[in-house]
Amino acid sequence: MTTAETALMDTPWIIWVVFGPVTGAIIAFLWPKRASLLGCFAALVTAGSVLLLVWHIAEFGPQRYLIGGWDAPLGINLYIDGLSATMLLTTALVGAGVTVYATAYFEQTTETDRFFWPLWLLLWAAMNALFLSADVFNLYVTLELVGLAAVALVALAGSRDALAGAMRYLLVSLLGSLTYLLGVALFYGDHGTLDIGLLGELVTPAPADWMATGLMVAGLLIKTALFPLHFWLPPAHAAAPAPVSALLSALVVKASFYLLLRLWLEVFFPGTTPNLGQLIGALGVLAILWGSLQAFCQTRLKLLIAYSTVAQLGYLFLAFPLASTPAATTAWNGTVLFILSHALAKTAMFLAAGNVLRAIGHDRMVDLARGATGLPLNWATFGIAAISIIGLPPSAGFTAKWLLLQASFASGQWWLVIPVAGGGLLAAGYMFKVLSLAFVQNQSSTAGTRIPKRMEWTALGFALGALAMGFLAPSVLDLLDRGAPFQTFSPGGVL
Amino acid sequence: MEAMIQPLGLALDGLLALTLLWLAWRVLASADLFKSIVFFIAFGLVMALIWVRLGAPDVALAEAAIGAGLTGALFLAALSRLRQGEEGMANGTHLRRANGLRFGAQAALIGLLIALFLALGFALLSLQNEAPGLSREVADMLPASGVSNPVTAVLLNFRAYDTLLEMGVLLLAVIAAWSLSAAPKEAVDAPGPVLGGFVRLLLPPMILVSSYLLWVGAYAPGGAFQAGAVLAAAAVLLLLSGRSPRASGWLGWPLRVILSLGLAVFIAIGLALTFAGRLFLDYPPDEAGNIILVIEVVATVSIGATLAALFAGGRPQQDKRE
Repeated sequence: MTTAETALMDTPWIIWVVFGPVTGAIIAFLWPKRASLLGCFAALVTAGSVLLLVWHIAEFGPQRYLIGGWDAPLGINLYIDGLSATMLLTTALVGAGVTVYATAYFEQTTETDRFFWPLWLLLWAAMNALFLSADVFNLYVTLELVGLAAVALVALAGSRDALAGAMRYLLVSLLGSLTYLLGVALFYGDHGTLDIGLLGELVTPAPADWMATGLMVAGLLIKTALFPLHFWLPPAHAAAPAPVSALLSALVVKASFYLLLRLWLEVFFPGTTPNLGQLIGALGVLAILWGSLQAFCQTRLKLLIAYSTVAQLGYLFLAFPLASTPAATTAWNGTVLFILSHALAKTAMFLAAGNVLRAIGHDRMVDLARGATGLPLNWATFGIAAISIIGLPPSAGFTAKWLLLQASFASGQWWLVIPVAGGGLLAAGYMFKVLSLAFVQNQSSTAGTRIPKRMEWTALGFALGALAMGFLAPSVLDLLDRGAPFQTFSPGGVL
Repeated sequence: MEAMIQPLGLALDGLLALTLLWLAWRVLASADLFKSIVFFIAFGLVMALIWVRLGAPDVALAEAAIGAGLTGALFLAALSRLRQGEEGMANGTHLRRANGLRFGAQAALIGLLIALFLALGFALLSLQNEAPGLSREVADMLPASGVSNPVTAVLLNFRAYDTLLEMGVLLLAVIAAWSLSAAPKEAVDAPGPVLGGFVRLLLPPMILVSSYLLWVGAYAPGGAFQAGAVLAAAAVLLLLSGRSPRASGWLGWPLRVILSLGLAVFIAIGLALTFAGRLFLDYPPDEAGNIILVIEVVATVSIGATLAALFAGGRPQQDKRE
């Protein structure tokens, strides 16, 4: 090997994916006049580090990193397997694209706009840290970082709606993380360790562990906005600046979901009964129903997309009733693929909605048709993204739902077929409501403000990405399998 | 003797617990926000006493300085700004209860909380183990940590990564506060001779106490967070006495550097160790004590500046001489 290759191999990319963006954030904070340029550079470094780290995992399998050289239970360990790698990759894909979009969106830089860059880079770093940590208390710190950065980003819009939404988001987010922390304290009091792996070996079906599990699950469900704890999401996601809406819907809610999934697989599973899984699955079904109906009733575009997120998040929870069946791995694969496809499609939609807002100054759907003819590319974006949200082939949304269907048939829990298939129809309902606006004939078409080409093309890129991801699904599933994150308990599990 | 002391201790603990609950109730139930804040500060002080009773003097110090002192000051500053904003409105700072929860929802919430409380109590009583914790592992590794205070060893060596991320939380908090608005223009009242003289007397010993807390953290309760809080209190006093550094050039990039220095140096040390072929934050045992001291010194300065900046409440307004 050449020296360059050795250096590439030996560099701890697992550290760089967290501290690359933090360093970028500090520099962007110190030099606000160049924040946008520095932000792009930091995003490039971060995305590059993520790619190298993911390549390393794909090539050599899962990795454990002892920070400070101290092994658990004394120290904090980082752990990356296929699941973490897929989450990192999703974040990097969405993050890099939104960064490009944001350079155009925040072009008329006011003093407030410049704060987008350090806040966004810290959010990115916090999410990456969350995907890597194997220590339940350290995960609490990353949760707080993610929540605080996300709230500040919502408030960046500055409007009355945004401030009210951000305040409510802050309170709910704190409630969620403190509930989680209470569970962590119980686990530590009972077992004297905070490491996920060690906890997994010690947890038993006993009152203290049930309580801890219940608290941590509840805290994370609040943060993931599962029905009926979703009330904070639509106002916050709809009132935020467009790139922030995209980041929140595509990534931030998925971060707490990832944590729930990780803990469910490795810590909670022995302590829970199948009933808890069924309950969570049922809430997921209600989320699909309620979110879709609410989306259909909205009169503003961004609120419609935000309620669509509430509905789509429901799908993530349909795999929980299947967790103790032999079809678990298929179901979890479908779930993670769903995260990826929803992230791409929802980013495309929120960015496209941002373009509409920028071009005609509002997002009232009744009046949207008037401005529609000015933005042909934007409507194409919306249509293509809708294919993935509805779950039509060849999109990744289709593949994900297909896996969920397969798992529910294989495990005999056929009742899950109804929400999976019916949810697609509901999504088609609210999506066509938007798309129909593009076909309204009108004479008095106002051209609206011209928007930078970059903003239209990045949105379209995400929509096409969601479509193409269907073809790449096998490679994603292959990466996901590194370290076999879903094998822990699945076939013939403890229950 | 033992038999005499134990019931006494139990009675004291019971009294503290009841006082804490009562204060918490008063914080939530007072219609006047000013009263709530005063009760909140008292709550923090009683909480600090409870930490002492639990044998956690480090936490007690932090609770008293940050939980009661600085958070109280932050609340008071926010309240005075609320009052300025709502001047002229009747009952500006009284909580409006018109859009509060309906009775049914309130009852449901209270029922839920009682159920949660009972379940928690049951879970705690059912704990089999005598809370093993990690004190033995910490004690075993203490000689290799570079310090002899186990709390400092955990915070700055064994679990330094947590502390590093918490420095990130502090910087994030300042950036978030600054992104919301510019700091309000303080009414430039003359502070009056009493406050001015008081500040002049108090400032040097406060800085001395801060340095002492920082230094002593290596072997006794103390450390960067407590020292930083005392430093911040000194800065808050300065701001209150009207000696804000507005006109000077301090509020531009020098302030930003001070705010981010703690985090930046911490990361730089961690990364430098990876370039030297070690793991991230893996201090060489011989140098660990010195490295921890360097990190704590810069962290103290940054923490003090961060808390004071939060008290000032927004990004500094640059004097542009329009």
